[in-house]
Amino acid sequence: MGLLRYTLWRVAQAIPVLVGIITITFFLANQIPGDPVEIMLGPSPAQGQVEAIRARYGLDRPAYERFLTYLSGVVTGDLGRSIYYDRPVLEMILLRLPVTLYLTVSAFLFAIVTAIPLGVISAKRRNKPADHVSRIVSLIGVSTPSFWIGLMLIIVFAFHLGWFPARGLPLPWASPADIRGAETQLQVVWTSLHHLAMPMVALGTLQMAQITRIERSSMVESLQGEYVKLARAYGVSESKIARKHAFQVAQLPVITIIGLGLSTALGGAVLTETVFEIPGMGRLIITAINNQDYELIMGTTFMFGVAFVVGVIVTDIAYAYIDPRVAYGEET
Amino acid sequence: MSEPLLSVRDLKTQFFTEDGTVRAVDGISFDVHEGEIVGLVGESGAGKSVATSSILRLVDSPGEIVGGEIEFKGETIFGLETGDDGELRPRDEMLTEQEMREQIRGREIAIIFQDPMESLNPVFTVGGQLREFIEINRDLDSDEAKKEAIDMLREVGIPAPESRYDEYPHQFSGGMRQRVLIAMALACQPDLIIADEPTTALDVTVEGEILEMVTDLQERYDTSFVWVTHDMSVVAEICDRVNVMYLGEIIEQAEVNDLFYDTKHPYTTALLDSMPRPDRTVDELRPIEGVMPEAIDPPAGCRFHSRCPEARKVCREVHPEPRDLSEESEAIHAAACVKHDAFDVGYDESQPIDTQAGGGFSAGLTETGGDAE
Repeated sequence: MGLLRYTLWRVAQAIPVLVGIITITFFLANQIPGDPVEIMLGPSPAQGQVEAIRARYGLDRPAYERFLTYLSGVVTGDLGRSIYYDRPVLEMILLRLPVTLYLTVSAFLFAIVTAIPLGVISAKRRNKPADHVSRIVSLIGVSTPSFWIGLMLIIVFAFHLGWFPARGLPLPWASPADIRGAETQLQVVWTSLHHLAMPMVALGTLQMAQITRIERSSMVESLQGEYVKLARAYGVSESKIARKHAFQVAQLPVITIIGLGLSTALGGAVLTETVFEIPGMGRLIITAINNQDYELIMGTTFMFGVAFVVGVIVTDIAYAYIDPRVAYGEET
Repeated sequence: MSEPLLSVRDLKTQFFTEDGTVRAVDGISFDVHEGEIVGLVGESGAGKSVATSSILRLVDSPGEIVGGEIEFKGETIFGLETGDDGELRPRDEMLTEQEMREQIRGREIAIIFQDPMESLNPVFTVGGQLREFIEINRDLDSDEAKKEAIDMLREVGIPAPESRYDEYPHQFSGGMRQRVLIAMALACQPDLIIADEPTTALDVTVEGEILEMVTDLQERYDTSFVWVTHDMSVVAEICDRVNVMYLGEIIEQAEVNDLFYDTKHPYTTALLDSMPRPDRTVDELRPIEGVMPEAIDPPAGCRFHSRCPEARKVCREVHPEPRDLSEESEAIHAAACVKHDAFDVGYDESQPIDTQAGGGFSAGLTETGGDAE
């Protein structure tokens, strides 16, 4: 199988997973005690109003019927209407998704760019001071929750020092007219990056710590490989061994961790967005749950599910690309 | 005889572990002349692999070469001298780490490792790895090196080398990978190839093919070999001269025929008795009794005395160095056993001692394949 067919195969395999996610979320959301219509209309609704709204959103029909309607909607790209906001769910998601992706991807870039060199240096200077420092830092990073890091960053760098803004995250491609104090696009980008710095660090620290640890142990193991001995015996320099021979083999477990970290990061984004008051998917999902907005809960959860599945697929493909031994599922 | 290509004198390599100092190689001396295949034979743990990595100065930490001299074509690979402060220090003419890398490793001395399954890098193509080593060690540009790599793959008997060039190691069988490693060594056109048990991991039929191929290529390229093995039949098949190692020491050194038909050391005798031979019919093979002691705390006197059927009291007291026992005009045949008259320490008068070899047949460990020193 070629790489393209492998990709298509993996995408096809993801469909049952997504159907499963929809099913479970649908019935779970409907089990939440309380009624979205009551939340929406307040304590004393007018006569007949409740029934009218229930009928409008199909809430008067049995659950299995609504489920099938919803499922067929998803297939055609219709995620329903938010009960609370009375807007199409897809529209709301598309408005929020870019912010979350912007934050998560930046956090990941931050994590990868710092973690890989740290891990390699750590492995090369194993049991020396540089290694100890990097190990302690990553241990702290792994064991500190992202919202706590976020709060600390806000206290120190926003309140006391005033270097960074504490809330909001404008997108770099937003129009200058919408951003206060910005006249040119360049200023928008600058404002955006300025806002991005703290949430990015808060969200990326955990990933950075995890990747550093894996990178280090993976490099330590790889540097002891027979192929490294062979390269040494044929006069390859130590720096080239670290950059090429040992490095590429060592990246396989790192890729797995990055792929799996994507889902953790999305979960962390919910908290980070709350701490920094960023209007992203995380905030949306929390509002949806608070309002018992069935359709919005379904829609946002489904989007998180899609993001997770995409992360796994990208990991698998990257794996197949780097490691020629991955036989594209031929043996299974 | 002419100047040897490689000369190892009193080489000592030790490993500094938490349990103590492991004297993996403890004062071995041997020469390799041009066009010769020299065997280095012994059980697992005898120090063979450590000896070979010492020649390339590639002993992994916590191991270290602590004494002796290694000369190769007039260059000093390793040599110490006593400094003004009375401490040992490397001699001025000893090659630096950079010179070792640029001038010796791969270029002058290439190595074939014992594990073909692990030695090739799994994420690069076979051809790419071959080409890289050729580029480094022969100053060829990329295209020339690729052409050379394909030629070499053909030379070692890999069918359709042009297409196999772009394949990955996992697409090759064990025997084919070993051929690739041999191609690597030959392609760098070194004067000496160290083969560290290259056929141990292969099955016997493949081993036979590889040995035949190596003898053939050796004649054509006139490369010298140090052939490390625990298998006496491999020695008989390809070596010109043999060094038998036991617990970090060379205990017998002879031309291959002398070693087989005029064996001077009881350990060599025991090794030969433990394997089937076409020229002798025996009812039962006789494994060597007991296990080789730890190199961390070698027995006093002759190191083999605890397992030696001919051991006497004197063997516990006297530590023999190998001595040339050959008649004049014959080739050198050295052995380190006091039973020979040349040692004259009173072996004949000494009382025999009970050793592990004293009893009848017992389930002793003899040879275990694939030692990984």
